[in-house]
Amino acid sequence: MNLNDKISDKAPARIGFYICHCGTNIAGALDVPAVRDYVAKMPGVIVARDYKYMCSDPGQELLGKDITEHKLNRIVVASCSPLLHENTFRKALEKAGLNPFYFQMVNIREHVAWVHTDKPGATRKAKDLCSAAVRRVKFHKFLEKKKVPYHPDVLVVGAGIAGIQAALTMANAGKKVYLVEREPSIGGHMAMFDKTFPTLDCAACILTPKMSAVKSHPNITLWTYSEVAKTEGSAGNFKVTVKRKPRYVKEELCVGCNDCIDNCVFKEPKFADEFNMGLGKRKPVYMPFPQATPHVALIDAETCLHFKTGKCKQSCAEACDRKAIDFNQKEEIKEIQVGTLLLATGFEVFDAAKDPYYGYGVHPGVYTSLEIERLVNASGPTNGEIVLRDGRKPKSVGIIHCVGSRDAKTNKWCSRVCCMYSLKLAHLIKEHTGAEVYNFYIDMRTPGKMYEEFYDRLLEEGVHFVRGRVSEVSDFAMSPEEEGKLILRAEDTLAGFVRRVPVDMVVLSTGLTPKKDSQTVARLFNIGRSPEGFFQERHPKLAPVNTFTDGIFIAGCCQGPKDIPDTVAQAGAAAAEALALIDKAYIELEPDTAFVVEDTCSGCKSCVPLCPYTAVSFDEVKKKAVINETLCKGCGTCVAACPSGSIKQNLFEDEQIFSEIEGVLTND
Amino acid sequence: MRIEEKVKRESRRDPEFARWVRSVAGGEDIRRCIQCGACSSACQLSSYMDYTPRRIINLAREGFKKEVLGSFTIWLCASCYACRAQCPKEIKITDIMYALKRRAIREGTYPARFPTAVMAKEFANMIFSRGRVTENYLVTMLFLKTNWFKFLGMSRLGLGLLRAGRMSFFPDSVKNRSEIKTILNAVDGK
Repeated sequence: MNLNDKISDKAPARIGFYICHCGTNIAGALDVPAVRDYVAKMPGVIVARDYKYMCSDPGQELLGKDITEHKLNRIVVASCSPLLHENTFRKALEKAGLNPFYFQMVNIREHVAWVHTDKPGATRKAKDLCSAAVRRVKFHKFLEKKKVPYHPDVLVVGAGIAGIQAALTMANAGKKVYLVEREPSIGGHMAMFDKTFPTLDCAACILTPKMSAVKSHPNITLWTYSEVAKTEGSAGNFKVTVKRKPRYVKEELCVGCNDCIDNCVFKEPKFADEFNMGLGKRKPVYMPFPQATPHVALIDAETCLHFKTGKCKQSCAEACDRKAIDFNQKEEIKEIQVGTLLLATGFEVFDAAKDPYYGYGVHPGVYTSLEIERLVNASGPTNGEIVLRDGRKPKSVGIIHCVGSRDAKTNKWCSRVCCMYSLKLAHLIKEHTGAEVYNFYIDMRTPGKMYEEFYDRLLEEGVHFVRGRVSEVSDFAMSPEEEGKLILRAEDTLAGFVRRVPVDMVVLSTGLTPKKDSQTVARLFNIGRSPEGFFQERHPKLAPVNTFTDGIFIAGCCQGPKDIPDTVAQAGAAAAEALALIDKAYIELEPDTAFVVEDTCSGCKSCVPLCPYTAVSFDEVKKKAVINETLCKGCGTCVAACPSGSIKQNLFEDEQIFSEIEGVLTND
Repeated sequence: MRIEEKVKRESRRDPEFARWVRSVAGGEDIRRCIQCGACSSACQLSSYMDYTPRRIINLAREGFKKEVLGSFTIWLCASCYACRAQCPKEIKITDIMYALKRRAIREGTYPARFPTAVMAKEFANMIFSRGRVTENYLVTMLFLKTNWFKFLGMSRLGLGLLRAGRMSFFPDSVKNRSEIKTILNAVDGK
């Protein structure tokens, strides 16, 4: 950095102006030489040039050469969006020994060339914008990027397969990871599945080793049955508050022997079992599922006799020889410092009852796909036997695709996984029961390695594929063969007629939806959501795991529906992006932050509650407002709010903005 | 136009027929079909068909026997093998068409008076009984069983051919008819 820079804040401006053709992008829409000549005549402009591609290496070299030769101390480049190349040109200035903030960029491509068809008008607008920049750049000051240390610890929110994968990757890289999960066990939806497509390997067999690895990893602190309550700070320095719900069983003492469950005053399981989608029953004290991690029982206060009546003999506590049961356990609040947040909060399955034509909750023979996963599973409520609620084995099964997907009435999007899991379920049902299986689909979407081949396999296994959306599931028999059955009515669009297919069991292939509280969670972490409610990635192609908030990454189905291979890949990508930030060990802060002019600050505190980033605080000793540069995002709210004009913002000071406005308005 | 119920109930399906289609030579791959329609688009005659080849495959593997065996499609098939060449799943569509034709003749479910079907049946009968085809007999049977009015219109051509010695009244036949029967029965697996 040139020491003379500080002096040149005051030195007379020697401005270099460069206008880019951007091939024909700009040059085709406006008169580039006219703009160049117009700016060349402005006071303070020493050099004015046009060039085909300013962002190219020769373009940048041209700029550097001029800075040295003509002793330029301010640069204006009129080209594309600052998002694209502001950094490129700032670096070129720096290379030539000039402070990178003695620079202003004019966006004449997106703001002029691409949005206007009238060439003379476009040229006039470009002249106005360039003149504004030239006037403003004279007032630019010497600024420096601040480096702040980056906290190496990471918080991963959600311990489904995405969270588990990301946590393990970062922990293996030697980072300290906090893994927070809302449910009593980690594993997420994957733990509920029976087999995984297209290889049909058992979900538990491939997931449980990872679950135990999380539990035993020295770098991972696992907090299940916990939720993030509050986050403050920014990339590199987050302060997070985690609420740990009481499970009334001391995690560090319980060994998961199940003695408490066996000795509960309820002799038989009586309450709907969440893990088995309510198809099975559990006691008030229970283990979520056999491979639950941590392998610790918990007590559901809603159903426990002790909490409901206070008159229980507490046989569970007596049975526990490790004295792990603690009815007085209270909610625990943990505060942690981390540098990075990785959100893997997952999805929710579409509520099939919202589609009234399919009779979910009305006809007992209608199931959701997740319920079937539990029915097929050997550790499920029927020990892996596919039977109807009345105990009969189904002889015919209809699988309806796209329930809660590709439907303007419910969810518009394709949930991506349903075709494949419907094929998988069709295979498993056929294998377990030998039933006739009908798949009703709109389009068969099987993109993925070995996926189409899996579809071929199902075709050859003799599953019926009817291309058509089922309009209704009814029990209204119109012929003897339909008596006592559920009748699916759909147009077989490939055969060219409407069909009525009577079946014993209907499986609704429900789609994936954002979590019900995704808005609250997005606000909690200050990230965006796409219109349908999934978390918004920074760029759909080029920054798929980043969010618009630095230091916060997303992975898995919280970003959008995806299958297990994609989820694992995305979790790995998010972990790698996080590691890149952590291992750099510091972050550079943009200098366009606000600062307080202490001489005139009256200490009215108007600014303090307005800051959305909690960057403004009040110094009780000096009675002045203080702005934390690390937290400030340069939004300008406090600047506008200060009644005495005592808060200013770098790169947006009054004289800079006013001269810019003058430039736009001074039209000859 | 008669208004009738068009919805197909499951009882319309004949799973036995679907099984039979899979058992014929060329039919073993019918379940592979992904209904892409390449066969219909490759077929030069599909524009005249009541069901396109794709639909025939779909109906046949689901067991909609009546629709398949009563269709004109199988009789319009000229056995050009364009469908077979284009099929991404390499299903032997033409072979299936032949099998369907044979079954339709056997069950008498082909469209009545449709020339191709009648001719195929008479042709086969003649080969079975005599080992050879006699053209004037074949043509006579064809016209009598489809549209015998047309036969009258053809009489002048017939007389001309007769005079020119291009047509004979005596039926052709192979020497040992029982041998040809044995061969044909062996082909049919009898």
